[in-house]
Amino acid sequence: MKSASKEKKLILQLSDVCKRFGGVVAADQITLELYGGETFGLIGPNGAGKTTLLNLITGIYASSSGTIMLNGKNITKLPTHKRARLGIARTFQHPRLLDGCDIRTNILMGVDLANKRKRKSEEEVGKDMGMLLECAGLQNVNLEDSIEKLSYGQQKMLEIVRALLSEPAVLLLDEPAAGLNEKEMEYIVRLIQAAVEKEIAVLLIEHAMDLVMGICDRLTVLNFGHQITTGTPEEVQANEEVIAAYLGGGNDA
Amino acid sequence: MKTKMKSISVPKIFLAGGVILACLAVPALSSSYMLRVFNMAMIAYLCVLSVYVLLGMCGQNSFAQAGLWGTGAYITANVVLKLGCSSLTAFVISVAGTALFAFVLGFAFFRLRQYYFTFASVGLMTILNGLFMNWTEFTGGALGLSNIPAFTIGSFSLESEIWKYVMILPVCVIASLLMKVLFRSSLGRSFMAIRDNEMAANCLGVNSLLTKSIAFAISGALCGAAGALYAFLSGYLSYQSFTYQQSTMYLIMIMLGGTASPTGAIIGTLIISLLQEWVRPLQNYMQLIYGAGIMILMIVQPEGILGGGKAFYEKRIKRKKAYTPAE
Repeated sequence: MKSASKEKKLILQLSDVCKRFGGVVAADQITLELYGGETFGLIGPNGAGKTTLLNLITGIYASSSGTIMLNGKNITKLPTHKRARLGIARTFQHPRLLDGCDIRTNILMGVDLANKRKRKSEEEVGKDMGMLLECAGLQNVNLEDSIEKLSYGQQKMLEIVRALLSEPAVLLLDEPAAGLNEKEMEYIVRLIQAAVEKEIAVLLIEHAMDLVMGICDRLTVLNFGHQITTGTPEEVQANEEVIAAYLGGGNDA
Repeated sequence: MKTKMKSISVPKIFLAGGVILACLAVPALSSSYMLRVFNMAMIAYLCVLSVYVLLGMCGQNSFAQAGLWGTGAYITANVVLKLGCSSLTAFVISVAGTALFAFVLGFAFFRLRQYYFTFASVGLMTILNGLFMNWTEFTGGALGLSNIPAFTIGSFSLESEIWKYVMILPVCVIASLLMKVLFRSSLGRSFMAIRDNEMAANCLGVNSLLTKSIAFAISGALCGAAGALYAFLSGYLSYQSFTYQQSTMYLIMIMLGGTASPTGAIIGTLIISLLQEWVRPLQNYMQLIYGAGIMILMIVQPEGILGGGKAFYEKRIKRKKAYTPAE
């Protein structure tokens, strides 16, 4: 989220991270730094390796080489659940909720993760939950209802609320606005704002260029697993290689 | 406090009253033979509850539950007969021992992905049954173990069928209440997260291997309790009781009732246990009836009787309503 620059804390650092699937290089020496309270965009055409990078950060894929540091701790070899406990939260391109459970249980999964680090009082949890559900426009849902009663957009929002309730250091969002209407996009922006206010580093994969250019402080462009450039939205938009590979003539790629 | 008061609704009070009345009516109205049927059904219920934890909550299917049940039973028999321990001590050792046994095995088996745990459980059941048949020192071999005394409190022995009912019922009630607590706990939620989406569960800090092993250990504890009670109830243990077919029967029971809650386990266990008695003349055809019944159920009502009932209630009485996006 664009804000007056102040001294930011380095949260997540990727150094020369590579991932090879046989002969295919899905991530080629990716180097990134994410700071607390920063919204960092990750853009590129389909198949550029964006989701692969998220899977490398969360530990779903083991990286072939390179290091990933979270708050100064090397997490490159840690399994997914340990990384989550250290503060890496994510959402998926298609929401991965507990389909057999009610909305409350889904939300409480995030609270459970936060409690593993530091136990919070029920009052605090209730307050945070209420605030985030309101940001997501979900304040009127009945928490005892099953997930299937939520629309696709609401499910995506719920996934972000769940991730935020886990009180992460980093929030990885995989195309949160895909398939959403304008009103729902506003909720997404509000949720990202709430994350930034909590000094969470947000990594956003998104194809909606208006959203990315509007809210990201910095962004990086990937193409065939290769990092073309990193910079402010203005710098990236002016980069000729980026225009050729991804942005093309307009902002609707 | 206010919310706690609210949660005890009038229908729930009636339901609880009905359940208590039914529990009192069973020994009052049943013959000694029927009481034995109910006692056996309650022991089966504990095993079906173990399937509920593992399959219903955690999404892992095991065919080794009868083997764990047998493990509990033989532990009790040995602890009582060879070590001369009290009944309560034997019960506790059975529960803890079977849980530990299941945990250790789970820790090895759950390294296998997807349905390979189920395959491993079939192997485990076969090995356990072989051990029960051949490990003479521990199981009495093909002759079995006999003269296991009834559960004793001080100098009072719970010999009669009605006292055995009094012994088993509280264990079932406590186990059911514990399942309710488990369902609402963070551990229960991590089970369900693994069942619904293991990758998302990992991303929410759930350790798959440990969590599944704990689920298997809890199901082992329930089977251990069932085994101990069976040893006290029957007084005689034979390897022929703890078979692969029996494991399948527990699965049939929960499939029939519904895997979503312990209530499904109760419904499934009661129907099958009573059906076995009521249609005894058709015993030769029972496997056929079960097989056809389950196939029809899976086509018509895959969520079992309870799931079907709930869906009917939602559809006809509550009316399903989707939310419209908030303004």
